[in-house]
Amino acid sequence: MKSYFDSLVLGAVIAIGWVTSAQAALPIQQLDSYKGAKAYLVQTQSLPMLDIEISIDAGSRYDPTAKAGLASLTGELLNKGISSSKSNLTEAQIADQIADLGADINVGVTGERALIRIRCLSRPDIRDRAVQLARLMLSSPSYDPVVLNREKQRISAGLLEAETKPDFVLDRRFRKAVYGDYPLGNFLTVQSISGLSASDLKQFHQQFYRSDRVIVSMVGDVSQLEAQEIMQTLVRDLPQTGPTIPPLPQLARSPVENLSEREISIPFDSQQAHIAMGMTAVARNNPDYFPLMVGNYALGGGGFVSRLMNEVREQRGLAYSVFSYFAPGQETGIFQAGLQTKNDQASMALDVMTETISQFIAKGPNQSELDAAKANLINGFPLRIDNNRKLLDNVSSIVWNGLPLNTLDTWTEQVNAVTREQIEAAFQKYLAMDRMKIVVLGAKQ
Amino acid sequence: MRQSFQLLFFGFMLTSQLALGASTQSIKDTHEYLLSNGLKLIIKEDHRAPTVAHMVWYRAGSIDEFNGRTGVAHVLEHMMFKGTEKVKAGEFSRLVAAEGGRENAFTSRDYTAFFQQVEKSKLSKVMQLEADRMVNLNFDDADFAKEIQVVMEERRLRTEDNPDSLLNESLMATALMSSPYRHPIIGWMNDLVNMQASDARQWYQQWYAPNNATVIITGDVDPDQTYQLVEKYYGGIRAHALPVRKPQLEPEQKGVKQVHVKAPADSAQLVMAWKVPRLQPDNINNDEPYALELLAAVLDGYDNARLNRTLVKQARLADNVDAQYDMISRGPALFIVGVDLAKGKTIAQAEAGIRQALAEVANNGVLDSELKRIQTRLLANQVYKRDSIFGQAMEIGGFEMAGFSWQDLDTVQERMQTITPAQVQAVAKKYLIDSTLTIAILDPQTRQSAKAGVQQ
Repeated sequence: MKSYFDSLVLGAVIAIGWVTSAQAALPIQQLDSYKGAKAYLVQTQSLPMLDIEISIDAGSRYDPTAKAGLASLTGELLNKGISSSKSNLTEAQIADQIADLGADINVGVTGERALIRIRCLSRPDIRDRAVQLARLMLSSPSYDPVVLNREKQRISAGLLEAETKPDFVLDRRFRKAVYGDYPLGNFLTVQSISGLSASDLKQFHQQFYRSDRVIVSMVGDVSQLEAQEIMQTLVRDLPQTGPTIPPLPQLARSPVENLSEREISIPFDSQQAHIAMGMTAVARNNPDYFPLMVGNYALGGGGFVSRLMNEVREQRGLAYSVFSYFAPGQETGIFQAGLQTKNDQASMALDVMTETISQFIAKGPNQSELDAAKANLINGFPLRIDNNRKLLDNVSSIVWNGLPLNTLDTWTEQVNAVTREQIEAAFQKYLAMDRMKIVVLGAKQ
Repeated sequence: MRQSFQLLFFGFMLTSQLALGASTQSIKDTHEYLLSNGLKLIIKEDHRAPTVAHMVWYRAGSIDEFNGRTGVAHVLEHMMFKGTEKVKAGEFSRLVAAEGGRENAFTSRDYTAFFQQVEKSKLSKVMQLEADRMVNLNFDDADFAKEIQVVMEERRLRTEDNPDSLLNESLMATALMSSPYRHPIIGWMNDLVNMQASDARQWYQQWYAPNNATVIITGDVDPDQTYQLVEKYYGGIRAHALPVRKPQLEPEQKGVKQVHVKAPADSAQLVMAWKVPRLQPDNINNDEPYALELLAAVLDGYDNARLNRTLVKQARLADNVDAQYDMISRGPALFIVGVDLAKGKTIAQAEAGIRQALAEVANNGVLDSELKRIQTRLLANQVYKRDSIFGQAMEIGGFEMAGFSWQDLDTVQERMQTITPAQVQAVAKKYLIDSTLTIAILDPQTRQSAKAGVQQ
């Protein structure tokens, strides 16, 4: 069944991937900026379709302390009613029109940004209608109090449901531990949602949904000229600028602490214990990105062949899923490792995970692990860019994170240049066992 | 209103124009071969990017299992990564990874499938590995002992600690009496606890044979060269007789069944499931399964579809709704409607709400515009699906395993466009009836430990 949290999860997944890339044969074209908005295009002509992503710098990180959930609701309600001087559309009419076009127009909000994603046929009459709808959704949401109340009820119900699930409870507690007072540690709750009003949403929309905070990425069967028009149409009705938005605080590095201060135990009567370990790490534009990414492939990112997978699953049969990842964004992201195992194996599994990560930070990968990581990443590079959807993810990551537009052209070279020493140095620079937060959820043995 | 009138017309144009373009598309770039050992090969060319998806589908899923050994199809899927005479345990994944490949495997009620996605020059290497484990699998008991623990962890993760899965498991076991579809794909925990390495080996020896397999390759390949490659690696594997598959047809249901499941959760859930026909390979022109597919979409195919509109947005009986039906399967089909109850609403109210929404269709039919909207979406999907070579291989595989041919794909899509509102109304009236209904209710239990954890 669909639930509100699906969209949050989707957002997290977008952020998690070490996605980068495009290729020399499919260059990213930078279009002329318009009203401060930026736009980028990769033309692919083999299928009569078009994917568009509109990123608005209006993610949950801007939630006021007492109004957690404001950014999410402001974004989630973009497709639930339009009220402009020229058109009024109910949520039902919007949904019917999208369906009549055979299009997808999805909205969602992550920690950093609000997103509208459009997939439609590239036939101009269809495409233009989809773009017009998205323009109205972006600039003129009605924020009907009746709809808002209903969505608040649904989100609250979803939250209460999620709080009975081990993975959700673990994830929230872990993120709270890592982010502390930083805005991304300030989660929406039943209480914070209940205080939000339609005028709060309107005000947030007015403040953050401005053309100078928008980036449009497009992939598909459209000319540069048409793409330029699409982008201008999308942002035409947005204000170009507005009152100054106060800068975000810096995310402080996870401090050195005694184990008792860093480790949190959550009693939970599930069959499995869930374990998370991690700390603050790096932003995507960090110069050590490639050593960290290649290193993490060897540690816990490389599917069935990582060191964590080998130690935890292959050697000991302790877990079905075990992983580690960096989640770098425009801002500093986190490093996280995790697994689930039956309750009476929790402390053993935690020991194995701790020892494996600790060893890796201390000594990095061995030469054969490095060779294997490079072989997979370089040989597998074409799989990162072999369809429109993947290309859009890549373009989006590159432009949102302010990376060079030729990032994909140099990607395999940069992977190939990584040395064992660089990985060891980078892991030691950013990660440290005496800074790792550890959360163990499960029944006490 | 005026706008939607325009769109109606517009939708009609879209429908007719796309329908012309969509058909014959898959015929000309898809190639089928039959090797002398019975292995079927289907190649679909797609030259947009220099990558390939290579899949092997075995027609052996949980539907082929017997009581006491439920889950063995899935356990064997795991064991397929545990080595052959030439390739040591764990080496398979390392070798695929070294080629830059992405790989995995999955088991369903109907089949077990294995795949690699690679840059096209690596196809030969992964094919060699995949063909090797079709016939040379050789794992030791110690590896089995560890892997069965992994599978039990998988069951704990996916099912034991997941109320949705527990509810679904009870629904299937209640709705079906004799069909093996009543067993969970992952198997009952007690069967996993008692499974032996010999059970998995026997499964492998019975079902893993070229004459029970279909190789599907999509992407940037030359069909003739690829056929030669498949002949080289798979062609030498000998066919053998397969176990007899008994029909195990489900006896006719004679009245409403109901099951309650208590599990840690916050919202109650109500699921209603009716036994309905599926599409049969020898009767692909039967309109009823198509009409049922469209009925599911009319109920829950887009954001303003009937269930979401009436139960979530208008009546506020539910917070989430769901309607499912899959006409392509080897075993019995269910038409399933489920809801998460809104706070303060009772199961009786939710059931009455669902029944009212269904009665509305059965008594008054659906609008032309509603159906056209769904059909337009299906046509657009025919374009979107071509963005993914992996998705195309998946579609062909699911079809083939259920006894259809990839050549039926276009026919099925064309047929979907011919279904009328009256046909949708007729199947709602004919099949969503109490004598074949099973009701499953999730009765949420407080998890005492949860609150303490969240509030810190």
